[in-house]
Amino acid sequence: MMPEQTAYSHLVVLPVAIPLAGIALTLLVRGNRRIQGLLAFASMFLAFATSVWLLVEVWLSGEPIVFHMGGFSGPFGITLVGDLLSCVMAVMSQLVLAAGILYGTGCRDKCAQYPTFYPLFLALGLGLTGAMLTGDVFNLFVFAELVVISGAVLTAISDDKKGTEAAYKYFYISQFAAMILLIACGCLYASYGTLNMADLAERIADDPDRPLLPIAIVLFLVSMMVKSAVMPFHFWQPDFHTAAPTPVHAVLSSVVVKLGIYGFLRMTTLLFPHEAEAIQTSLIVLGSIGAVFGGLGAAGTYDAKRMLAYSTLGQLGFIIIAVGWHTPLALAAAIIFAFNHSLIKAAMLMLAGAVGSRAPVKTAEFSRIIGLGRTVPLAGVLFIIGGMALAGLPPTNGFISKLAVFRSGLEVGGYYPLIFLAVASLVSLIYVSRAFQLIWLQPIPEDVTPKEKGDLLVAPLSLISLCLLLGLWAQPLVELGHDTATWMLEHRSDYIDAVLDSRDRFFEQTWEPPPSPLDPQQAPNDTGAQP
Amino acid sequence: MELLIAAGIGLMMAVGVYQVLRRNLIRSAIGLIIISNAIHLLLIYAGAYRGVVAPYAFEWAAEGRSDALPQVLVLTAIVIAMGGFSLVLGMIYIFGVRYRTGDMDKVDQLKY
Repeated sequence: MMPEQTAYSHLVVLPVAIPLAGIALTLLVRGNRRIQGLLAFASMFLAFATSVWLLVEVWLSGEPIVFHMGGFSGPFGITLVGDLLSCVMAVMSQLVLAAGILYGTGCRDKCAQYPTFYPLFLALGLGLTGAMLTGDVFNLFVFAELVVISGAVLTAISDDKKGTEAAYKYFYISQFAAMILLIACGCLYASYGTLNMADLAERIADDPDRPLLPIAIVLFLVSMMVKSAVMPFHFWQPDFHTAAPTPVHAVLSSVVVKLGIYGFLRMTTLLFPHEAEAIQTSLIVLGSIGAVFGGLGAAGTYDAKRMLAYSTLGQLGFIIIAVGWHTPLALAAAIIFAFNHSLIKAAMLMLAGAVGSRAPVKTAEFSRIIGLGRTVPLAGVLFIIGGMALAGLPPTNGFISKLAVFRSGLEVGGYYPLIFLAVASLVSLIYVSRAFQLIWLQPIPEDVTPKEKGDLLVAPLSLISLCLLLGLWAQPLVELGHDTATWMLEHRSDYIDAVLDSRDRFFEQTWEPPPSPLDPQQAPNDTGAQP
Repeated sequence: MELLIAAGIGLMMAVGVYQVLRRNLIRSAIGLIIISNAIHLLLIYAGAYRGVVAPYAFEWAAEGRSDALPQVLVLTAIVIAMGGFSLVLGMIYIFGVRYRTGDMDKVDQLKY
C-alpha cells in the first residue's frame, strides 16, 4: 500500500534532487567551463529557491512535511523529513553554497577550471542538504560521507601545494569519524532494531536502559564533534580549510561545520532527550574552551584565510554553548547565530580570497598581501562591515546573534561561559581589525606588483548586503529562530507522529502476516516479502 | 560463537589501528580498510542478534533467520568504504609522484 502523500510532500525531495540532476548536467557540458558554471549556479539557486518554498510551507502550516522514498511507508523505507530545523539548516546551507558557486564562476583559481570542479561542488551541496533533510541515521552517515569525500577531493585539487596533504589528513580523521558513526548505527540497530529517527526516538523513550545505548550516544556525539571541529577534535580544521580553494573554503568553513550543530540539536531534542543533560554539559565545557582557543589562534596566526578558519572554531563555541543551555531562547540564539555566522564567514573568506588573488602568487599570507587591499577598495568596505558583524557590532546581523546568545546566557545564569564568550568577542574584534589594518591601511611594498584582475566581488557583495539587511530588519529571522526552538522543544511528538503516521495506518488497514513458507500446511507460493 | 565473533572483530580492529598508526602510507591505507571491514562485520552481527526479534519481522520470519536490513546497510557501507579507499590510494599516488617516498614523516609540508 502506498502511504498517503499530500501534494506538497514531494517538495522535500526537490532540494536534494535538483543538485543531483545538476551533477549529471554539468558533467554533460564539461567541455565549456562557462556554461558549466552557470548551469551549476542555476541548479544550486533553484534548489535554494525550493528549500525556501519548503521552509515557508512548513513554517506557515506548523507541520513537518514527510516524504517516503519509493512509497515504502513509515519506518520501513527511507524518509525525508522537512521539519522547521531541517528546513532552516537547508536554506542556510544552500544560500551559502549558491554564493560559493557564484564566486567560483568569477574565480581565477586554476582548479576552478577543472571539468569536475562544479560537479563535485554540487555533490558537496547535495550531501549537505541530504544530511539535513533525512530522517534516518544511516542515511545521515551516507550523506555525510558524500560531503567528506567531495570536500576532500575539492581540497586535494587545490592550487595550494599543501592541499593534497591537508586533504589526506582531513580524510583520515573524517573517515574514522564516519566509522564511529557506523558503529553507533550498529549499536542502535542491535538495541532497538530501527534506524529511523522518529521510530528510534519513540523506542528509546519507551526503553532507555538498553546496555548499548550510552555507547551509541557517545559515539554519535564524538562523530558529530569531528564533523564540526569542536575543540579537542579540531586538529584537521585550520590546515584543511586554509589549503582549500577560496570558493570551497567559504562553504567548508561556514556551512559544512554546521552539520555537527544540526546533529547536536537533533540529539538533544529528538533522539536522546533523557541523556541530554550530560551532552549539554560536555558541549558547554568544550564550547567555552573552543571559543577562547579559536579566538587566540586566530589572533596569533600568519594567514588571512587561516585566521578566519580559526575564527570559525571560536564562533562555533558560541553556538555550541547556546545549544548546551537548551532553553527556548538559547536554542533560538543557536539557530540565529548559526544562520548569521554562515553568511558572515563565507563573505569574509571570499573577500580574503579576492585580495589574495591580486597577489603575484596567489596566497593569503599576511606578509605577502600587505597593502594589496588598496587595489580593491570595495572589498575593504565590505571587509569592515563583515568584520563588524563577526565581532558583533550594532547595525549588522552579528550583533543580533550575539545579543541573543548573551541574553539567553543571562536568563540561564551561565556566567562562567559568558565570561569566556566576552573574552572571545573582544579577541575577535582584535584580529579582525589587525587583518584590516595589515591588508588595507599599509602601503603596498615597492617590490610587489599586484595583478590587474582578481576574483569578482559579486558573491561577497550580495552576502554582505544580506548581513546588513538581516541586521537592520532582524525580525523575520529572530521569529523563525524562536518558532524553531519552541517547535523542537514542545512538539517533539509531532515529528514522530508525522513520520510514523503512515505506519499506524498501514497496520490498521491492511496488515495481515502473509502465510509462512516454512509451514507446509499453507500455500508455499507466497514468499512473504516484508512490508 | 558470540564470544568468538566479538573477539575476532576486536582483533581485526586492533590490527587495523596498529597498521594505521604505522609510518608507512600504504600500510596505513591497508589498516583503514581492515578497520572498515571489522565494522562491517560488526554491523552484520548486529542483524544476526539472537534473543530479540527484529521489530517489524513476522513471527515465523524471525525464527532461525538473520535480519536482512543490516546486510543491506553493509552493502552500502562497503561501496562507500571502497570510494574512500580509492581516494586515499589516489592521494598516496600523488605523494609518491611528488615526494618520491612512502614514508609519512617525509610528507611534511604542513609542518611549520
